[in-house]
Amino acid sequence: MISGALALAPASISAQEPQRDSIPTDVRVGILYQPVFRPGIVMPVISAPPELRELADSVLAVILRDLDYSDRLQVMSVGEDIPLEGPVNYGLWDQLGAVWLLLGAIEGPADAPVLRLSLHDVVYRLLQDVRAFELPPIRDPAFRMTLHSAADHVVRWATSSTGIAATRIAFVDRSAGGLEIFVVDSDGFALRRLSDDSSIAYSPAWSPSGDRIAYMSYKDGDPAIYEFDVNPGTSSLLVDLPGMDMTPTYSPDGTLLGFAATVEGRTEVYSYNLAERCCATRLTYARFANSLSPSFSPDGKRFAFNSDRLGQLHIFVQDTEDGSAELITRYIYDQSVHNAAPDWSPTGDRIAFHGWVEGVPQIFTVAPDGRGLRQLTQEGRNEDPSWAPDGRHIVFASTRGGSAGLWVLDVVSGRIRRLVRSAEGRLPDWSGRLDSTFLVGGTAAAGRNRDNP
Amino acid sequence: MVINLKREVSWLSAVALALVVAGCGRAPAPEPEPQPEPEPQVQPRDEAAEREAREAEERRRREEEERLRREAERRRVLSVIAERVHFDFDKSDIRPDAEEVLQRKVSLLREYPGIRLRIEGHCDERGSNEYNLALGQRRAESVRRYLMSYGIDAGRFGTISYGEERPLVDAHNEEAWAQNRRADFPITDHGRLEPQD
Repeated sequence: MISGALALAPASISAQEPQRDSIPTDVRVGILYQPVFRPGIVMPVISAPPELRELADSVLAVILRDLDYSDRLQVMSVGEDIPLEGPVNYGLWDQLGAVWLLLGAIEGPADAPVLRLSLHDVVYRLLQDVRAFELPPIRDPAFRMTLHSAADHVVRWATSSTGIAATRIAFVDRSAGGLEIFVVDSDGFALRRLSDDSSIAYSPAWSPSGDRIAYMSYKDGDPAIYEFDVNPGTSSLLVDLPGMDMTPTYSPDGTLLGFAATVEGRTEVYSYNLAERCCATRLTYARFANSLSPSFSPDGKRFAFNSDRLGQLHIFVQDTEDGSAELITRYIYDQSVHNAAPDWSPTGDRIAFHGWVEGVPQIFTVAPDGRGLRQLTQEGRNEDPSWAPDGRHIVFASTRGGSAGLWVLDVVSGRIRRLVRSAEGRLPDWSGRLDSTFLVGGTAAAGRNRDNP
Repeated sequence: MVINLKREVSWLSAVALALVVAGCGRAPAPEPEPQPEPEPQVQPRDEAAEREAREAEERRRREEEERLRREAERRRVLSVIAERVHFDFDKSDIRPDAEEVLQRKVSLLREYPGIRLRIEGHCDERGSNEYNLALGQRRAESVRRYLMSYGIDAGRFGTISYGEERPLVDAHNEEAWAQNRRADFPITDHGRLEPQD
């Protein structure tokens, strides 16, 4: 009975016994990342009339940071003495080592400025793409999102993969009244609190359209799942079965809500038909065990989830329609295995989760068939991974660097950055793309054709 | 010390004297305060009033005793109900020490059929946040089933899990974790334990 607790103590003391943890023997402890070539991009000062100079500088700062955080381009700094007038001097930029040159200009009336971006291919000496972005007032929440969206376009022009700047991360953090849901832009700015429940709020999950967040709350005593409508900023009850309702997740097409609920004292995974606003269907059957934290595959046909049905905590994959659960993390006899918090990547090829290494949670990824297990972190506690829409970046809660917070990791290059500094920030969920030209129905048509090759 | 002792002795002798003087007509229960006996013959009319006053005093005394007894009982009930049970790491089984605690609750819940409880399951901080919610729920349920198996009506218990969000001890070591892996028993209905009952 107490073997679980006791097994941890010797493991943490004897570091010379690498087998006494939950890592399968074919996984090397030690993080291996590929050296990645990132083409250099240079963006000089944005030209602007004097009354828009300040605006132009803050626009430049946001876009440069977004380009850097894409981890696909090497942002190069440039002196202010480089002449920008006249035709583009490709030779000069080539000599400086840039592959891409991004020129920006802010034009138009001060109350309705337009940002014009043009991307030049320095190597082939041609204009790659150009586009104008109408800038909302600087105090408007849409202002930063427009800049993020512009940066994502640039990343796409240069690498043919859209960036992830125009996204947000929802997470749980401590507030005066209890645990609440917060959101922050992908660059760590524009942090704000969403919920105001003054109880325990948990497990936020973005809807695919990005306009709603499902989460669990104790605000009415009995834990239930609520849906927060981001635009009016109101929350309403979504699912309340008898007992506890927890760990909501939307299917990628937005028709189903996966969640877990209490059945005869244990926890099982259900789906709820969002289109018809009715009917919870049970998906897992494991007597005497808990099944929770579902995460759908991109086609919605399968889902990963967490279960202790084998006496250890593991990740399983199951068909949504019917079918049996398949174990995808390694069962290790007589050891304290604790694999939790699965998140199926939007590109479908990997499932991220956290698993204990000598009693300390670390981030792993594995293919949906259980092959190719890979450990991504080793410093501090690292928990609750969530994929960015590019299937390449992961946000997670970590105590690395001595102070807790949310961190973003590029699983390709291994580059890591702090998103939010917070002692109790946890359970992050990365949104899909929130590009306002796609989100706000009416104006969506404006630039859509340019974007789709 | 010496002075106190002297006082004690003189007080005791005064009580003894009073008891002797009071004689056989009175209840043998020890009186906290010696009642100076009035001279019987001087005012015969006051005898009835005197007896009434004595009876009133007696009633008050009995009521006070009853109140104290009930208060002590109430405290006993509350402390038995509030007694926590603890769990092993990542387990929801009822341990032998928890069984003793729950047996005390069983006999008390039989004695007081009006009492209703909420069973709260809690976890230490080590497991994943979400898994701990499920684990806490199982712990609460495991306790509820144990109590039900001794014939206590299921409708008298609600269950809720707080996962790792309501630690008893806010520290990060084995001792704190052992304390935090627990079930709490807040009373939702006191039944006839209520003072006005």
